[in-house]
Amino acid sequence: MSPDRTLPWDWYSGMIPQNATVDETAYIETSFSFYLFRSRLPLGLEIGRGASTYLGTMFDVGPRGHVKLGDYTLVHGARIICDAEIIIADYSLVSWNVVLMDTYRIPLDIGDRRAELELVPTRQPRLPAAEVPARPIHIQRNVWIGFDACVLPGVTIGEGSVVGARAVVTGDVPPYTVVAGNPARVIRRLEPDVCWDRVQESFTSPPPRRTR
Amino acid sequence: MSEPAPTPRSSFSAARPVMLPPNVRVGANTLINGEIAFKRFHSQLPDALIVGANCTMDGVHFALGEKGRVRIGDHCYFTNAVMLCELELRIGDYVVIGWNATIADTDFHPLAPAARVADAIACSPLGKGRPRPDISRRPVIIDDDVWIGPNAAVLKGVHIGAGAFIEPGSLVTRDVPPRARVLGNPAQVIGEIC
Repeated sequence: MSPDRTLPWDWYSGMIPQNATVDETAYIETSFSFYLFRSRLPLGLEIGRGASTYLGTMFDVGPRGHVKLGDYTLVHGARIICDAEIIIADYSLVSWNVVLMDTYRIPLDIGDRRAELELVPTRQPRLPAAEVPARPIHIQRNVWIGFDACVLPGVTIGEGSVVGARAVVTGDVPPYTVVAGNPARVIRRLEPDVCWDRVQESFTSPPPRRTR
Repeated sequence: MSEPAPTPRSSFSAARPVMLPPNVRVGANTLINGEIAFKRFHSQLPDALIVGANCTMDGVHFALGEKGRVRIGDHCYFTNAVMLCELELRIGDYVVIGWNATIADTDFHPLAPAARVADAIACSPLGKGRPRPDISRRPVIIDDDVWIGPNAAVLKGVHIGAGAFIEPGSLVTRDVPPRARVLGNPAQVIGEIC
């Protein structure tokens, strides 16, 4: 990121939001990802060490939304719809066309919804802005989410778990569990074989020497 | 920020207006944008697409075949929805369709294996002039106040009753009663919107 908060390689002429902290080692493919970012919190977005976000990722974040991408997270084209909080912890992998939503954005009550839909065309840009309850999503570290999956409001996905492609996650997922299907169900357990101390160590030691 | 560059699936990025095909009618204060809105709009019918007033069609893909006909009511809000129509889509008022949801009134190809071989040949660059086999198409009807979540899909012949709520990622293959809340693949009723 340049000092003026633009990206030197960007095809889109946007900026990294002022209330975002982006680690200098993180990679953001395009600032178009922030086109719908409108958080007004002092700190609306945190992108950690070695994290990367690629084309197609959209931070659709409302005025009181807070999103955190942990260290070494890889977000490859997810739609992050956030009015409260969405945390994707360290080493998590999120695939393309994944929807992470902590809110339905539109009132469930049909009368309220009609009133809101009548207001939308009066706004610039035309976005829903009703007060709708939002429930945070917490993706713990080392979670892998397959393509086209949806994670619904209020869900916590435990450390080391895997969400299969096209799964729709409606409730909490325990740690080290593989879930798949629509609605998502547990299909197997994983061995919690990560030694986090070693992971830290491997980063502090120099990279292996290249040999020809 | 200066003027946005073209994007594959835009979100309010169309600073320049979308050119409407002549057989499209749009009500007052309705917005249609995105580079791909009419890239696959092939309908030859008069008034093939009619969108009511006060609608927002943000990045919606109107892929209509030669005889496709789409009706959309007032105060609808669609985000990057994909509308695949060879016959008819009839959508009421106050309908919300989420990001990357697909509505299709046909399967585009026949089910029977031999007919599919014939269709593959007819569709190929070598199939010029060969007629395609009959392909089943049934109208999709979506009543007023329906909410369809992101990544959901609605298949041919489905009638979604007024006020129904289609959870994200659902695959709707059968009719949905009014005010039902559905989820899953295939979508099942999980509750009601009161």
